[in-house]
Amino acid sequence: MLVQIIAQNIRRHRIGGLTASQRRLASARSGRICCRRQGRKVGSLVVLGSLLVLAGCSGPLSTLDAAGRGAERIATLFWWLAASAILIWVAVIGLTVYAVRLRPEPHSQRAAKLLIIGGGVALPTLVLAGYLVYGLSLLPDLLQPAPPGSLRIAVTGEQWWWRVRYLAPDGEAVELANELRLPVGEPVEVLLDSPDVIHSFWIPSLAGKLDMIPGRVNRMALEPTKTGVFQGACAEYCGTAHALMRFYVAVEEKEKFARWLARQKQPAQAAAGPLARRGQELFLANGCGACHAIRGTPAEGVIGPDLTHVGGRLSLGAGILPNEADDFLRWMARTEDLKPGVHMPSFGMLPTQHLRALAAYLDGLE
Amino acid sequence: MNTPPGRDPERLGAAPGDVKPLREAPPIGVQHAQAERLLKAWKTPQGWRYWSAVNNSQVGLWYTAAAFAFFLFGGILALLMRTQLAVPGNDFLSADFYNQIFTLHGSVMMFLFAVPLFEAFSIFLLPQMLGARDLPFPRLSAFGFWSFLLGGTFVCGSLFFNAAPQGGWFMYPPLSSQYQPGIGNDIWLLGLSFIELAAIAAAVEIIVGVLKTRSPGMRINLMPLYAWYILVVAGMILFAFPPLIAGDILLELERLLHWPFFDPDRGGDPLLWQHLFWIFGHPEVYIVFLPAIALVAMMVPTFARTPMVGYGWIVLAAVGTGFLSFGLWVHHMFTTGLPGISLALFSAASEAVAIPTGVQLFCFIATLLAGRVVRSVPLLFVFGGLAVFVLGGLTGVMVALVPFDFQAHDTYFIVAHLHYVLVGGAVFPVIAGFYYFFPLVGGKKLSDRLGRITFWLLFIGFNVTFLPMHLSGLLGMPRRVFTYAPNLGFDGLNLISSIGAFILAAGFAVFVWDVLRPKGKQPYAQRNPWGAGTLEWTAEMPDKPWGIRSIPEIDGRYPLWDQPNILRDIDEGRFYLPDAEEGKRETLITTSVDAQPIQCLRVPGPTWLTLFAALFTGGLFIFATFHLWWVAVASGVLAFAIIIAWLWTGTALIPEKEEKNVGLGLRLPLYRSGPESVGWWAMFITMLADMTAFAGLVFGYFFYWTIHDDFPPDPSPAPSLFGLMLLGAVLLLGSWGLTVLVRRWNQGDRRAAFYGGLPVAVALAVAGGATLLAGPWHAGLDPVSHVYPAMVWLLVLWTVLHVAVGVIMQGYCLAQRLAGRMTARYDIEIRNVTLYWHFVALTVAITVAVIAGFPLVA
Amino acid sequence: MQGGLTMERVAEKNENLWLMVVSPGIWAAHFLLCYSTTAVWCAKVVGRDGPLGEARMAIAIYTVLALAGIGIVGWIAARRQSYGSETVPQAFDTPGERHRFLGFVTLLLSALSAVATAYVGLTALFIQTCH
Repeated sequence: MLVQIIAQNIRRHRIGGLTASQRRLASARSGRICCRRQGRKVGSLVVLGSLLVLAGCSGPLSTLDAAGRGAERIATLFWWLAASAILIWVAVIGLTVYAVRLRPEPHSQRAAKLLIIGGGVALPTLVLAGYLVYGLSLLPDLLQPAPPGSLRIAVTGEQWWWRVRYLAPDGEAVELANELRLPVGEPVEVLLDSPDVIHSFWIPSLAGKLDMIPGRVNRMALEPTKTGVFQGACAEYCGTAHALMRFYVAVEEKEKFARWLARQKQPAQAAAGPLARRGQELFLANGCGACHAIRGTPAEGVIGPDLTHVGGRLSLGAGILPNEADDFLRWMARTEDLKPGVHMPSFGMLPTQHLRALAAYLDGLE
Repeated sequence: MNTPPGRDPERLGAAPGDVKPLREAPPIGVQHAQAERLLKAWKTPQGWRYWSAVNNSQVGLWYTAAAFAFFLFGGILALLMRTQLAVPGNDFLSADFYNQIFTLHGSVMMFLFAVPLFEAFSIFLLPQMLGARDLPFPRLSAFGFWSFLLGGTFVCGSLFFNAAPQGGWFMYPPLSSQYQPGIGNDIWLLGLSFIELAAIAAAVEIIVGVLKTRSPGMRINLMPLYAWYILVVAGMILFAFPPLIAGDILLELERLLHWPFFDPDRGGDPLLWQHLFWIFGHPEVYIVFLPAIALVAMMVPTFARTPMVGYGWIVLAAVGTGFLSFGLWVHHMFTTGLPGISLALFSAASEAVAIPTGVQLFCFIATLLAGRVVRSVPLLFVFGGLAVFVLGGLTGVMVALVPFDFQAHDTYFIVAHLHYVLVGGAVFPVIAGFYYFFPLVGGKKLSDRLGRITFWLLFIGFNVTFLPMHLSGLLGMPRRVFTYAPNLGFDGLNLISSIGAFILAAGFAVFVWDVLRPKGKQPYAQRNPWGAGTLEWTAEMPDKPWGIRSIPEIDGRYPLWDQPNILRDIDEGRFYLPDAEEGKRETLITTSVDAQPIQCLRVPGPTWLTLFAALFTGGLFIFATFHLWWVAVASGVLAFAIIIAWLWTGTALIPEKEEKNVGLGLRLPLYRSGPESVGWWAMFITMLADMTAFAGLVFGYFFYWTIHDDFPPDPSPAPSLFGLMLLGAVLLLGSWGLTVLVRRWNQGDRRAAFYGGLPVAVALAVAGGATLLAGPWHAGLDPVSHVYPAMVWLLVLWTVLHVAVGVIMQGYCLAQRLAGRMTARYDIEIRNVTLYWHFVALTVAITVAVIAGFPLVA
Repeated sequence: MQGGLTMERVAEKNENLWLMVVSPGIWAAHFLLCYSTTAVWCAKVVGRDGPLGEARMAIAIYTVLALAGIGIVGWIAARRQSYGSETVPQAFDTPGERHRFLGFVTLLLSALSAVATAYVGLTALFIQTCH
């Protein structure tokens, strides 16, 4: 019981703390990130005491800041395990300190044997059986596929970005990259694979991770319970820029999500303004279309990320840059610096004017 | 053996425990003469010849020093990593260099420190603890050491040429096979395979050492707990390392010849590597942990001043852990998308393994409670290790639960967990062991004051470094990242970790200073300085090279506590083998359960052969890495020639007499062959490891069967394969049968049959091997095209390679007999070769059954 | 100490270390059987969306058989452990002590193997599909 109360308390504070940090993030990121409900005020002493823990448990990648069914159940499991582990640790070390520091009169062999049987055998056997049963009882639900008819998304991990395709029931796919948007409260099936090396798809706030293995398709069910913007990361070492393979996940109200998806299905909007139009010409002239597709234009490359609505995304370069015109420019000019090993060549040799035009064009593809 | 040969008739009925030392000490003059002869026989070579030594105290010392040097190297790599990660977005190291460093850090700590260090300690300590003069195969230890040094230097050195492996210490394909073209990963595969072979050699040595070289009377229920642990660990190595070697072969074949074992486009599957790697990788954790705990099991009774409470429970823990640790490997693969039931099974086993681990910790605590604790620096480290390890064990129990692992896997939570386990479970006990056993090296103790400083720096530094990592991981920091973005919640935690790493490093610096500081003026420690009860403390300060002056008869678990005057009796030569009349190095061989003496074994002395054998074997691997094929082949041929010379001149020598008086009225034979000889045991154990590697390959075949609908293809792409495979099997089994007969003919001294039969056996083997090769060749199977032909070729090549070695062995026996070095009575070689051929026959039968038989069933 | 007759009855040639590893060996066999049965079942028989069905039954049967085997070994070990009249720890240099010691360790290993087997068998109660 005690554990649950502590856990509950910590969770309340976490939400408060999260809001603060989210706000900072939001102001930095032109207000794209929506706020969550405020944490309630609790006794000041407790607040003070748990401030550290509070700050410690929140974050856009936090497993303890659960916002999905899987992550919530695992977080609860964690708090139980952690509390009991601390108890056991204190007991074992206490006993040893007693034996070594206090140096009691020698205990009888019988007492010593009883300690081995009780503390070394009986207790662990029961505690471990309890853990095991708890863990096993969660498993069927965590592995349960999303019900038929759920939204299906195919995510492909590639060195070092994410190809995302929303699969319509009729088999048509809408392709985007490096971000997911999900409707809150709805189960979603995510199909995971990879054409090159092993990656691992992980959105800590929503669920555990699952590997993307060449030659196999793994299925994962997600069910977000809260709206908000979260982050995901590749969790399996996948080569040079493994550290720079991240993505954003926006969980939205159903209607908002539907609007967004409808928008994604549209071809790219026409370039607005002379700079952007110049950018579009340059895009095609420099051969960008060999790798990237922008639906509605002659660019139909399939090697790199689809850029049809790239200007409306939450990040650039697989979660490593914000999404402003300047960031496009930086990315094109210093690709290799920003992401070592990246398969896209840098375009730093282009005149800055050209880069600026390209950036304006791409940023406008919302 | 209930009644060992050579016992004086009147003593046959005596209970073995009744053997007492000589009532009277030999006259002082005799004692001196004996001591002089012993010293001469066991003299350590001087000058530059020192490096030709093979004695366990020298090799053990070098081994320890080298492993510890690699540890420091790995530690420096860790400091570089922590410097890079101190702040977000740091550019102290480039991504590629960081990836090389973390790959090497893991590989060095596991392959060049943790496992070799236990081998080193065992080579150094085991004979002392068992009351033996040396291990049964000193030259094999020396060969293993030189191989290790060479391979390790090669792997580490690659970093200075920016050519180090960067596939992670786990080397997952396809990243490691198709996406990292440099030679780094080849260095990893070939360099470490070479070291893995050295580890298996050490395991063979240790198993035979524990089972056959204990002092008379040291029954299985009396041997030091260290011996129990190390026996279990060596057994684990036999079954854990070979699957990795099998995996290495597959991966190197894919890198070098493009055989598609892990390429899904051609029927391969990356997950097969993960299975093979972790079948090695998880037992490996316990291979590291158990020997360190074994050191604790030797120290705790000493400082509690009482025998270990629950000796039997500890044996349970060691053996139980050894078994259960093989049922855990998939818990490194919980997120690969395997069916839930597979995950659940491995989760269950992973929870179960915590039980024996807990048992031994409670045995230690119970012993401390049952005794009266004497505080000391080693005990301080033991205590620190316990505090750290228990936490690591508890987080281990947490991540063994599948749901929690879904989140924790491949995050810094795991980094924290594994360091708590390995540093608490291995490094702290090993440092404790250094402080405890150091007087055995040069006769002097390490400093208590520096020891305390070291302890607190290490303990604080460690926790400051790794405790925050639990939280970093829970906050979503993945492992193996060369940098991270700011404001994700773990900036501060990483900075703290980095500061802690430098405190930790300072602790090791103090420790290294304590070990290396000149100790000229410091007086020698008194004998048995900690007041321990086990035989290694019979050593004089400083120690003499003979190991032990005379080999005692043992009556209990703590002879120095249980047997009055034992030190005096040993020193005055009142026990066995107090002399070296023939100037030869000798030790006793005893039976495996009851330690009844059955043989006086002559062990070889210094030689350069082992060093050169290792050098050229290493050359084979190293030149192959650089694709210098002809140099590699030349190096291999030289290595082969040297090994043959080593065997020819140094093994199974015919003694000048049948028996020898070893003292206390006991006469023992100088030569034994078959199951009573140590060589036979070594062959048997080696072949167990060999069969395990083979099983790994066969597992691969059936693994592909489970994941494909058309493996093996139906209809078969090569109908002619089956006939040739069967014919090959018949020829090879014929060769095997004839070898068995030849062994009998040799024993019956039927020269004509021997000389007639053996060449026919050779011819049959050659013909059989060629026929097997002709199978896939004739069928036109192209191993590059698909995983099925690759698998067939691999099984055939593996078998043919074994046949080729078998042919060399048959030829060796022929030559030995021709040279008069093998006779009807002295027949170790042919017996061991026959044993080898039993395993070859098994390999042939399985290969042919799988390739030719299984498609009919499937 | 036991006399000569005792020593002969428990002599080394009648005893070796193999009995010790029988129970953990049964655990290992049980474990591998459970693993390979279910792996083949899910990969070859019903597919990843199928039920475990008969495979769960198989685990149950394996578990009962394994526990029975371990029980038999444990029973033999218990008899060895209580051999003779002494109850002191098996810390002396006599064949009888060694005999009782090996019995004791075998008994403990059987108990551990039984618990570990039961843990493994427990999985069949919770997991019902190949997901």
